[in-house]
Amino acid sequence: MPHVSPNLRVKVLFFGRVRELTGIREEALEMPEGTTLSELFEHYQKRFPSLRGFRASLVASRNQEFAAWDTPLSSGDDVAFLPPVSGG
Amino acid sequence: MTITPDNDWCELVRASIDSGAAVGYVRAGQDGATVTFDGFVRNESHGRPTVYLEYEAYEAMALAKMREICVQIHRSYAVHRVAMLHRLGHLEVGETSVFIAVSAPHRAAAFDACRFAIDTLKRTVPIWKKEFFEDGAVWADGEMPPAPPASETAS
Repeated sequence: MPHVSPNLRVKVLFFGRVRELTGIREEALEMPEGTTLSELFEHYQKRFPSLRGFRASLVASRNQEFAAWDTPLSSGDDVAFLPPVSGG
Repeated sequence: MTITPDNDWCELVRASIDSGAAVGYVRAGQDGATVTFDGFVRNESHGRPTVYLEYEAYEAMALAKMREICVQIHRSYAVHRVAMLHRLGHLEVGETSVFIAVSAPHRAAAFDACRFAIDTLKRTVPIWKKEFFEDGAVWADGEMPPAPPASETAS
């Protein structure tokens, strides 16, 4: 039986400066099973070269919690790449 | 509007913040003090006159983080109630962007908790401010929220 790598489907949200750079507020995306937050961000860096060099000034979140970059994603996750926060 | 198990009031609003309602909400007969923080739009930033600000938020996460702050407050300080309101959208100079009210039987806990609330909000709640000047606009320098170290949350 041929091995077919299953995909996972996540919702990705962008805010602030990163929203302006990508022109995306929110999109659904399919990635291979096992994709981490870091790999998902690399996907966006390829699509949007202006994001290159940006990772050090972003924090990732998964399901409304700050998350380490090596966190693997699950189908149905909400993911965001958050610029430094400036509320208040 | 969201009310926490401790009856704290957290909300992201798109109209003027009713600070009187927030104070009225937190104070009760058993309290002896209410401490409030009123954050409003300054008329300049780094020496440039500000025309207006725009705030945006990751609303679901921002509310979750605001509720977390309230939970931490009740763990750490002997306070009665917290109201924490943040405005989003277009704000003119002088308008309140964030209002926090904390009531307690004694003033020390209310002061400490209110300070903790605004300091933690500014560091951990996903809200962003864009400053508009006569000749352009910039995203305000923000604070990096504390991210978990690698692998800690990998599961």
